[in-house]
Amino acid sequence: MPSHTALPGNAMPTAPLDTRYQIETPEGIDLPLRPAGLMPRALAFGFDLGLRGLILGILFIALAFLGNLGIGLGSILLFFVSWWYMVLFEVLNQGCSPGKQVMGLRVVQDDGTPIGWSASLIRNLLRFVDMLPFGYFLGAISCLQHPHFKRLGDIAAGTLVVYREQPLARPQLPLAPALRLPFALELNEQRAILGFAERQGELSAERTHELAAILATPLQVSPARAVEQLNGVARGLLGPT
Amino acid sequence: MRLSDASVVIRPRSSWEAMDLGVLLARKHRVLLMSSWALVSLPIFILISVVLWDYPSVAVLVFWWLKPAFERLPLYILSKALFGQTPTLKQALRQWPHLLKGQLLASLTWRRFSLSRSFTMPVVQLEGLAGLARQQRLGILQQRNAGAARWLTLIGIHLETALWVGLMALFYLFLPQQVELDWDWQQLALASSQDWLWLEHLSNAFYALILVFWEPIYVACGFSLYLNRRTVLEAWDLELVFRRLRQRLEAAVAVLLLAVGLLVIAPTPQAMANPPVDSKPLSTPQASQSIKHLLEQPPFKNPETVTRYRFGEDQGANKTKPGADAKLPAWLESFLDNLNSDTFKSLALVMEVLLWGLLIAGITLLAWRYRDWLQAFVSRRRAPRPKAEQPVPSQLFGLDMGVATLPTDIAGAAEQLWATKPREALGLLYRGLLSRLLHDFNLPLKNADTEGQVLERVRHLQQPQLLAFSDDLTRHWQNLAYGHRVPPALAQQQLCADWRSLFDSEAAR
Repeated sequence: MPSHTALPGNAMPTAPLDTRYQIETPEGIDLPLRPAGLMPRALAFGFDLGLRGLILGILFIALAFLGNLGIGLGSILLFFVSWWYMVLFEVLNQGCSPGKQVMGLRVVQDDGTPIGWSASLIRNLLRFVDMLPFGYFLGAISCLQHPHFKRLGDIAAGTLVVYREQPLARPQLPLAPALRLPFALELNEQRAILGFAERQGELSAERTHELAAILATPLQVSPARAVEQLNGVARGLLGPT
Repeated sequence: MRLSDASVVIRPRSSWEAMDLGVLLARKHRVLLMSSWALVSLPIFILISVVLWDYPSVAVLVFWWLKPAFERLPLYILSKALFGQTPTLKQALRQWPHLLKGQLLASLTWRRFSLSRSFTMPVVQLEGLAGLARQQRLGILQQRNAGAARWLTLIGIHLETALWVGLMALFYLFLPQQVELDWDWQQLALASSQDWLWLEHLSNAFYALILVFWEPIYVACGFSLYLNRRTVLEAWDLELVFRRLRQRLEAAVAVLLLAVGLLVIAPTPQAMANPPVDSKPLSTPQASQSIKHLLEQPPFKNPETVTRYRFGEDQGANKTKPGADAKLPAWLESFLDNLNSDTFKSLALVMEVLLWGLLIAGITLLAWRYRDWLQAFVSRRRAPRPKAEQPVPSQLFGLDMGVATLPTDIAGAAEQLWATKPREALGLLYRGLLSRLLHDFNLPLKNADTEGQVLERVRHLQQPQLLAFSDDLTRHWQNLAYGHRVPPALAQQQLCADWRSLFDSEAAR
C-alpha cells in the first residue's frame, strides 16, 4: 500500500492508521477487534451512572420507612451497587454493563477472551485511580493518549473495551445475469465488487457510473455498460442464492 | 487529493469508530497540533487577560468565544497530514492568517452555537462553499453522523469542565502546606474580588491549557466524522480498490507483452549472478569479537532502563480532611429520625446478629475450604515432628533387621559358616553391623538407603575404628553380593576378629 506510493517530503510511517486491533489465534486465525474510544465509553458510563442513581434513589426512598434498619441496609446496598454493579454485569453478562449494552460495547481481555473475575475486579477497583483528581481526569487523558483507548484500569487489568459485532442485514443486490471474469480476483477486490453492488442504493447514479468507469477498460466494455457488467460479476461472485 | 496517499485506512466506519480514528489522528500529530494551538491561542489569551484585567469572567468568555477561529489551524494541519503532506510548525503558523478569511464572522456569530460545528467546519474551510451551495451540501452530509457530531460537542463540554476542575484540584493539592493554611475556599468565595483577581486569571489560564490538549482532538474527531461521511457517500474505499485493480490488470498486460518480447530475443549468455566475492578470512579472536558484538545487539539482548520510584522517608501521619465522608442529606436524616420508632429496633438487632454471623461463617468456611493449604504453609515449623515417630525399619536391602533373628555370638556363627556358606556368613556380619547401627547407635537408617549412604552416616558418628570396619565389611559385602567374589580367608578371619574387638568388648564393658 503506502510502500509503493510516492511519498512526498517528510515521509509517512509505514502502516496507515487504523482503529482495528488484530489478534492472531494459535490456529493462525486473525481476529480483528475494534477498540472503542472515549466518546462511546463516556456515554455508556453516563448511562450506567444514571441507572445506578435511579436504582439507589428508588430503594432509598423505600428503605427510608424502615428507620435505622433502613439506613443500615441502605449503606450495604450503596456498597454493593457502587463496587459490584460493574463487576457483576461484566462477568455474568458477557462483558456488557447496561450502558455498554446500549452503546454496543463489550469488555474483553487483551487476547479477545471473555473477561474473568480478577480482571474485572482490577479494572473496576482502579476506577478510583482513573477518577483522580476529579471526574476521570487521569482516565480521560490515558484514554485519549493510548493507541487502543485504554484507561489506567484497563492497562492494569489487561482488558480492552471493543465494539460488539452487530448482526448484519442481508443486503439486496441489483438484478443482473451472473458473469464470470477471465482473470482471478483477490479477496479484497471481490469484496469491493460485492460492496459496489450492495451499496448502490446509497450512492448517487453519477458516482456509481464514475466508479464503474474506472474498471471499464479492464472489463473490455464501454463505460456506459460498466455498471451492469460489475453487477453481473457481483452476482457471479455471490453464486446461486 | 489522491486517495492512495491517505495515511489512514479508508473504509466506512460507524460514527463512533470514526471519532476513534480522529483521536488516533490527533495522537499521531499531537506535538505539532498542540504546539501550534498553544502558539496561536496562548498569546491571544494573554492579550485578552491584560486588556480585561478587571473582568476575568469576561476575559474567559471572550477567549471561549474565539475558539472557532483557532480551530481552523488544526483542521488545516490535519487535512494536509491526511495525505502525507504534514506541514512544519512554521508553515502552519504562517498559514493561519490566510485561513481566517473565509466566513469568520459567520462562524463567530450565528454559527458559534451550532453543536455540530466540528463536523460542518470542513465544508466551509476545505470545500470553500458558501451560501446556498453550503446549505445543500450540509443537507446531504448531515443525513448521517450529525447526531454523533452533536454528542461529540456535548461530551467535549463535559470533558473540558471535568479537566478544568481536575487541573484546579491538582493545583490545590500541590500547594505547599504553609500556603494552604491561609486559604479557605469559602473565604475565597466571599472575599472581595479585587484581592483574588490573579487567582481567577490563573483558573482562566488553566482553561486555556486544557484547550491546548483537547481542542486538537475535538477538531480531529469532527474532521474524521466528515471524512467518514464522505467515504460512505462517495464510496472512497471502493474507488481505491478499483483503481488498484485496474493498475494491477494493466501491469499484468504489460508483463504479458514483455514476456512475449523476451521469448523472441535470444537469452543472454550469463543469466546467473556472479558467485559472491570471497570475504576476507576471519581469525578466531576477530570472529569471537564480532560474535560478541552481534550478541550484544537487539535480537539477542534487549537492554531496558527501568526507572522506579522508591519510598522516601515517611511524612508522618496523613492529613485527613473533614467533611469528606458521605452523609445523608439533612432532610432525609430528619425524615428518618421521625420514623425512628422502636418497632424496627429488634429487627435491626436480628439483622446485625445475622450479618455478624454471616461474616464469621464466611471466615470459617474459607478456613475450612483452604485447610490443606493452611496446614501446608502456615504450620511449616511443626513439620519435623513426624521424624521422631519414624519406625525403625525391619528390613534393609532385603535383609531381616530384627534383633531376635540374629544369633547372640555373631562372630562365632560367622566363623562356622565361612567354610560352607560364605555368602550367608558375610551376610550375617553385615546384618549384624546394620542391626547394631540401628539399635545401639540409633542411626536413622531408612529402607531406601544404599550401602554408600549408610557409610556416610557412619562417618558422621566420628568413630574411626567403627568406620574402618564398616568400610571394610561393606566393600567385601558388595564384592560378594554383586560381584560374586568370595573374600580371601585372611580377610574372613580379620573381619571376625574386628567384630569381636569392636562389639564384644563393648558388650563386655
